[in-house]
Amino acid sequence: MVHQFKNNGYNILLDVSSGAIHVVDDVVYDVVMLWESLNQEEIFDKLKGRYDGEELSEAIEEVAALVKEGELFTKDQYEGYVSDFKKRPTVVKALCLHIAHDCNLACKYCFAEEGEYHGRRALMSFEVGKAALDFLIANSGSRRNLEVDFFGGEPTLNFQVVKDLVAYGREQEKIHNKNFRFTLTTNGVLLNDEIMEFANKEMANVVLSIDGRKEVNDNMRPFRGGQGSYDVIVPKFLKFAESRNQENYYVRGTFTHHNLDFSKDVLHLADLGFKQISVEPVVAKETESYAIKEEDLPRLLEEYDILAAEMAKRKKEGNPFTFFHFMIDLEGGPCVAKRLSGCGSGTEYLAVTPWGDFYPCHQFVGNEDFCMGNVKTGITRTDIRDSFKSCNVYAKEKCRECFARFYCSGGCAANSYNFHGDIHNAYSIGCELEKKRVECAIMLKAAEAFSDSEVK
Amino acid sequence: MKHVKTLNTKRLQNTLKKGGCGECQTSCQSACKTSCTVGNQTCEQSK
Repeated sequence: MVHQFKNNGYNILLDVSSGAIHVVDDVVYDVVMLWESLNQEEIFDKLKGRYDGEELSEAIEEVAALVKEGELFTKDQYEGYVSDFKKRPTVVKALCLHIAHDCNLACKYCFAEEGEYHGRRALMSFEVGKAALDFLIANSGSRRNLEVDFFGGEPTLNFQVVKDLVAYGREQEKIHNKNFRFTLTTNGVLLNDEIMEFANKEMANVVLSIDGRKEVNDNMRPFRGGQGSYDVIVPKFLKFAESRNQENYYVRGTFTHHNLDFSKDVLHLADLGFKQISVEPVVAKETESYAIKEEDLPRLLEEYDILAAEMAKRKKEGNPFTFFHFMIDLEGGPCVAKRLSGCGSGTEYLAVTPWGDFYPCHQFVGNEDFCMGNVKTGITRTDIRDSFKSCNVYAKEKCRECFARFYCSGGCAANSYNFHGDIHNAYSIGCELEKKRVECAIMLKAAEAFSDSEVK
Repeated sequence: MKHVKTLNTKRLQNTLKKGGCGECQTSCQSACKTSCTVGNQTCEQSK
């Protein structure tokens, strides 16, 4: 399968199964369009009125060479492989610790319902967190790198426990030959020098929540009293980003139906001075006023194109920034096993509530049907784990023929469940956005590879 | 090639033999938390 598309003046071919990416001229682009339906002579006859004969012959020869080399129209040979891979024993390598089911903001789109996840307010105790880390170590098999995200609600509301758990993890990693990578997700309200200093020493990454322009942020991310949070958090986030040398962090925002022109929010964050930016579509029930709707799609796809073109321009001008959803690693990216097995929710990745209950991921917390066990008992609902384990691109009808399947790995199980009541489906609006993001990410690589003087 | 510029040399089929060590980052731990993004992860062995 070959996916061909034009973006920002580049003609791009993505050979889906091999991952090969080619930037081509118009003649090759048109030849490839006909390749599977006509033979080479027929292609020549069909296009000879449009292109010079010699040029056309060269193009056909070059396409034939790519096919022969396994760089175009390669077959998908991975279905059996991923089934075998999925049969391996489950190990856990990442936990999302819900340090606080409480929050000092009242963001309107919060899937945690102002931090409480449809339940009561609670803070995780050190004992529960310690038992979670012990569980992780005990169930991680030979995996050395273990990830723990301090999440909420707002984890800085319970920061002493965060510090104590990091200290415990550092002690245990030496004993068990593990390497903890801690991360912190925060809304920034309580950020201070002490927390920043601690995070800079101990956190491999920090995620700083802000939506973009002041009016956009303050509309969706107010305090409980209704006041906006922008003016409180921006100076702290700027200081924090600088103190981390503009690395190993993201300012992370959410766009909704109310700011379909979200490229302006991304660029606003870049203009403030942030270099690592992620702004992502809201996940919400269709009935919510801020939910992304089907009819929003053309506008949103155009916004991604606008953003990508601006990023290519800024990069050439020497003023680049990173946009998380346009990151793509063409040379050192994930192996097929990783690409086909998805995010790992419910298997290698679990969320832990303040009470120590396990859920497949943070987005399922609060839905009792998905409670998988407890830090004291371990995983008792192995049927839930097995259901998530069987989730891969070949198990999803919509994914089997999708060109983006090796980039999103079948998408988010929680999105699928929220929209279809089943984790083995795919959230269509999310799919369309993801496909556009993959195209933009590849275009940006093409733009990097070509200087202005070269013919596109 | 005159008409084609290939951007990458890594081929997915070549990762079948050595892949699957599982040491790489879990995708939701990076930034997203609401969307599955795997193609942008870096292979731990290529670091």
